[in-house]
Amino acid sequence: MKAAVRYIAASAALLIALAPVYWLLTISLKREVDQFAYPPQWIGFAATLQHYRDAFGSGSFGSYFANSVILAAMSTAAALAIGVPAAYGLSRFEWARSWDLKIGDWILSTRMLPPIVTIVPLFLMLREARLLNSLIGLAIVYTGFNLPFVVWMMRGFFDEIPREIEEAAMLDGESRVGSLLRIILPLVKPGLAATAVFCLVVAWNEFLFALILTQTDSSMTLPVGIASRVTQYEIKWGAMSAAGVVAMLPVLVFASAAQKYLVRGLSLGAVKG
Amino acid sequence: MKTRRIPEGFWWTLPSIVVLVALSIYPLVYAVRLAFGDLGNFTRLAGDHVFGTAALQTIAFTAVALAAEFVLGLALALLVDSLTRFRSFFRAGLLVPMLLPPVVAAVAWRLIFNPQFGVLNGTLRQIGFNTAALTWTNGQNSALLSVIIVDIWEWTPFLFLLLSAGLQAIPPEPIEAARIDGAGPWRIFRDVTLPLLKSTILLALLLRGMDLVRIFDQIFILTQGGPGTATETVSLYIYRTAFRFSNFGYAATMSFVLLAATMLFSRGLMRVMRAR
Repeated sequence: MKAAVRYIAASAALLIALAPVYWLLTISLKREVDQFAYPPQWIGFAATLQHYRDAFGSGSFGSYFANSVILAAMSTAAALAIGVPAAYGLSRFEWARSWDLKIGDWILSTRMLPPIVTIVPLFLMLREARLLNSLIGLAIVYTGFNLPFVVWMMRGFFDEIPREIEEAAMLDGESRVGSLLRIILPLVKPGLAATAVFCLVVAWNEFLFALILTQTDSSMTLPVGIASRVTQYEIKWGAMSAAGVVAMLPVLVFASAAQKYLVRGLSLGAVKG
Repeated sequence: MKTRRIPEGFWWTLPSIVVLVALSIYPLVYAVRLAFGDLGNFTRLAGDHVFGTAALQTIAFTAVALAAEFVLGLALALLVDSLTRFRSFFRAGLLVPMLLPPVVAAVAWRLIFNPQFGVLNGTLRQIGFNTAALTWTNGQNSALLSVIIVDIWEWTPFLFLLLSAGLQAIPPEPIEAARIDGAGPWRIFRDVTLPLLKSTILLALLLRGMDLVRIFDQIFILTQGGPGTATETVSLYIYRTAFRFSNFGYAATMSFVLLAATMLFSRGLMRVMRAR
């Protein structure tokens, strides 16, 4: 009996968590006459894919989607390329006067800066460099954004691998870089993948920087594209919901792949931009 | 003679340090210079009623949302932890709101909140309520509460996730010992579980609190700070000052004040992480 109450309560919470997402999905699939019908139609409506065709076929959401993909991939690759060596350096070498801890803390503290503080200077800097409304400019910003996270996550994963492993490899004539690439990285592959997933999700979900740094139709990301439609006078809810559903699918897929590492990642402030 | 040798690890770390100096420290210095470039900005700030309103609303938003998310998150963590079956199913499902792009979550809630055709009022009417007075995000008095509701929906999962992990990390022995000593469930929770969970709770509150203070995305989509200034927050006001009115200096001054506020949070956070 008591267990039944618990399952009912947990199910109710699950319902509240998922109902808004489900409602968005139904709006994206309903004909316009049914979208705001009274009483609300939760099930059994006539489904159509027209809004998806409108948003991604004739509308610009296809190009926003491509921009978001390119941006997430570029900034994640760059953050890993720069951050993984730093994590390795902090984890593996002798540092006098615990400089490794000091540098590590400093790197993490840059992640704590509220974006709204650095956004005005970054906007002015990118304007100066003529990198406004370009994916390169935004990718640079996202790289800086994800870098502290990569360093912290990967340092933790490197710390879990005993030093003796690469010391043995180096005695066998392997170079430092060679032992990192051929021996250590394969060992931390799951952690590396989880770190990459978090970077991808952060870049994919991020809104504030994208809103300010990409204002032209050709440079917009998916969240900015959706937002630009919401603030218009007449809103095409169907196309916008379709874009929203497409925007959330990759995140849910990626997050379920990295579920095991969610706590470690989130306690370092991932996902939320 | 001994020469000071730069440790090898430093060279591995150097590219990251350079990038972070360029993208984080330099902009910070730039912002401080902008903020203090014209001290008149500080006098203006002191007399700026919109900033005062935004600051108060940001504090209210943070306090109410954080308290609600913590209580609900802890309750959910205890609830799911007590289930014997389908635990990972519930856990995965409950995390969904937090993973969505915030813009998408906000769009979903606009569809829900709309007073005329939204599904919330529609459902309430269907079961017999008079919804004429329920204007949600459109109402002067209800807008702030409505955006708080959205934040609670979206971010309780974050507290839930961290607190669940904390609960799982508690060794079973002390709870077992208290039970043998005859303690009831409430005593066990208050005197054993809660103290053991303390550092997790602190960490979760600090992380969420820091994000709440800078809240932007959801409110931008839901209300744009309106109606009037009913949901204006510091971040939104800074955004508008800089990018609608091109007053970068004044925006920097306000962001400096916001930074000072969040520094208090992150200082505490560092201390907690060190202690662990």
